[in-house]
Amino acid sequence: MQLSGGNDGLNTVVPHKHEAYRAARPTLRIDSSDVLAIDAELGLHPACRPLADALEAGQLGIVQGVGYDQPNRSHFESMDIWHSCRRKEDRGQEGWLGRAFDLNGGAAARDPVGIFLGESKLPASLVARSTPVPSIDSPERFRLQGQDAEALTTALSGMSSPADSTAPTGEAAALAEFLERSTGAALEASRRIEAALASGKAVEGYPATRLAEKLSTVGRLIEAGLSTRVFYVELDGFDTHSQQADAHRGLLEQWSGALGAFLKDLADIGRLDDTVVVSFSEFGRRVAENASEGTDHGAAAPLFLAGGRVAGGLHGAHPSLTDLDDGDLKFHTDFRSVYATLLEQWLGWDASPALGGRFESLPLLRS
Amino acid sequence: MTSPTAIRSASANGASNVWEPFRPDVDGAWDERRVRHLVRRAAFGAGPELIETLVEMTPDDAIERLLTGTPDEATRQSESDALARTILASGDPKRLGAWWTYELITTTHPLRERMTLFWHGHFATGGDKVTDAEALYRQNRLLRDEALGNFRTMTHAIAKDPAMLVYLDSVTNRKAHPNENFARELMELFCLGEGNYSEADVQQLARCFTGWEIRQGKFRFNRYQHDDGEKSIFGRRSTFPDAEAVDWVLAHPAAPRFVASKLIRLFVTDAMPTDDELEPIAELLVEHDWNLLPAVRTILRSRRLLGDETIGTKVRSPVDLIIGLLRSFDGTANASRLADDLRRMGMGLFFPPNVKGWDGGRTWINAATLLERANGIGRLLQDDATRFDRRPVGEHLMARFGDDDDSLGKLAEVLLAVRPNDATLARLAAVGEGRSGAARAVARMHALAASPLAQLG
Repeated sequence: MQLSGGNDGLNTVVPHKHEAYRAARPTLRIDSSDVLAIDAELGLHPACRPLADALEAGQLGIVQGVGYDQPNRSHFESMDIWHSCRRKEDRGQEGWLGRAFDLNGGAAARDPVGIFLGESKLPASLVARSTPVPSIDSPERFRLQGQDAEALTTALSGMSSPADSTAPTGEAAALAEFLERSTGAALEASRRIEAALASGKAVEGYPATRLAEKLSTVGRLIEAGLSTRVFYVELDGFDTHSQQADAHRGLLEQWSGALGAFLKDLADIGRLDDTVVVSFSEFGRRVAENASEGTDHGAAAPLFLAGGRVAGGLHGAHPSLTDLDDGDLKFHTDFRSVYATLLEQWLGWDASPALGGRFESLPLLRS
Repeated sequence: MTSPTAIRSASANGASNVWEPFRPDVDGAWDERRVRHLVRRAAFGAGPELIETLVEMTPDDAIERLLTGTPDEATRQSESDALARTILASGDPKRLGAWWTYELITTTHPLRERMTLFWHGHFATGGDKVTDAEALYRQNRLLRDEALGNFRTMTHAIAKDPAMLVYLDSVTNRKAHPNENFARELMELFCLGEGNYSEADVQQLARCFTGWEIRQGKFRFNRYQHDDGEKSIFGRRSTFPDAEAVDWVLAHPAAPRFVASKLIRLFVTDAMPTDDELEPIAELLVEHDWNLLPAVRTILRSRRLLGDETIGTKVRSPVDLIIGLLRSFDGTANASRLADDLRRMGMGLFFPPNVKGWDGGRTWINAATLLERANGIGRLLQDDATRFDRRPVGEHLMARFGDDDDSLGKLAEVLLAVRPNDATLARLAAVGEGRSGAARAVARMHALAASPLAQLG
């Protein structure tokens, strides 16, 4: 789950008693009486009740102080760093998951190895060289419509290279091949997903939000036995430069509400132990609030893991609120160590080639 | 194969200029295929009459014709204004896309419209946050007025544009806590590109815009909240009074290269331009004090754009695909339904994905958008409101192309940059089998326009 825009980690996992926090956040601070206690020092934002319940049940792990060296405060650049694990200078097209898909037989898999449920463009982390990764807005829309649907599927699926004497080669031919491959993969994915969802039934208990709707669809695809390894969803809007309090509460409610319902759904279908839900954002926000009762782009932030086999509770210390880097929290855990843990211990794939280097695994999962 | 002529002209200047004009007969024939390519890149598409006119002109004259457009028609203008007034009276930014779609279908200056859309992606501002439809509409007019005008003028206007400042949370901007958002995006996304400034530059530039506010939908300078102290930006110390900071950002050497890169990617290629491609266009922008016309004219006239090797090398955006299709047939359609379908294909007008606008190129394409393209084209062609040259779609197709074996090939020449081979055409022609003339022609066109090669421009 990608929380886009830069989630305010400080008001998600709140150091409510700390004087430096209270002083830096005169209008935005959350009081001790309101937080959902994690331990004596830290508490969750009051909108995160479903997360507090998951924490209680040992199904939520909070990795603190996650980030990277020389943080970039541009949304796009920082998100690209999280997606590609590369700095701008040596970045290709592919993302860390896309590279892992390519290296682990993604191109030949019967079901798409990764699926993005969202209306925006495919997140760069999922971009692969040879593995098709479909985006699905809503399952009903994810198929050809009308009386010609069947004939169209046949007509559009075939591959052909333009074989005309005037046809350009090089760039245009490569692009044509890309489009034909993408079209074929889209039609095949549409067929498989339609078949998977045809057998499932609607599940109660999800809040009425887009995010919850998507997670409910993910639940049905998991229940139907699709062999997909990664489902990717996004919640946008965390760029709270002004009037943050209400907006942030609403976002955290959507996030934790949908996540809580998803965990319950997975437990009901007996798949909670097979699933880990990772929630991250491209950066946290500045410690000091700004003049618009909002916060500007920051650096280190907490990352969240949920599921039946995560090591519950806090991992790592809360970053110092007084030893700051240009007004921002300093990271102590590289996000690529979290990725390495997920690749090696969860997906069973070699992490180094996907991440472009060796990163230490962390004890975030239970075997 | 290298021709002796090409070698001579390249060595004459010591180095080859990639933007040398296209010369018919040396570089290739100035024929219908090439004119259709130019029109796809510069003006979405054009009906048979305009294509024929442009083929008969010289390349330079044809390009001037596209750069100038034709004078607006009074009835078209009044219908457009009436539609805008109705939508603005509703106050709903979601409906503005219908008005712009109407403009795109009917405009007598499609190149200016294409540039307006480009600037909308460049200075992206979205109705998800700017709920004031009037402000978005006014920004759209600003972008249209300067679409082929002056980038400096446009940037200054955008810096005080209510819709932009609302979008970037800069409705208030107080001295004690400068809001960094606009300052950052001015450098990162509007003028320089990431990596050409430091975090300190962002913080210093942000101070220059303190006191810039929006009150009752209008820009206002609040001198009590303005930080008039000395700032240091890119190593220069000054108080940067008025909007001098905007000019100082534009004076950065990265600025003309940044804008040149975006113009080249708009017209020529989805790849990142090379230094050889960037430098001459950047120089033109500087030489003409940010006037856009000379740079755009040079790009459009060039062999780099008009040469065979460039045809079919860009992924068409949803607007290029759909508006191109309609304009190629002098078509009209229900603008409101069309705007909804453009949004589903990933290009909601007035609703760019974020402040970076649309990334374009291969990012237009994924499984969902491909299916939306196919379904949206089907809905458009089967919609009773859709007319090709004032006639129902099927009727027009039958009259113009007939329904013999070659009809789909002739249609492909009008619609596609890259001609499919015979086997592909035969497969596409099988769609709609068993139906009668006009209905079958529509089904076949649907298959052709939804096919992979139709997404190339």
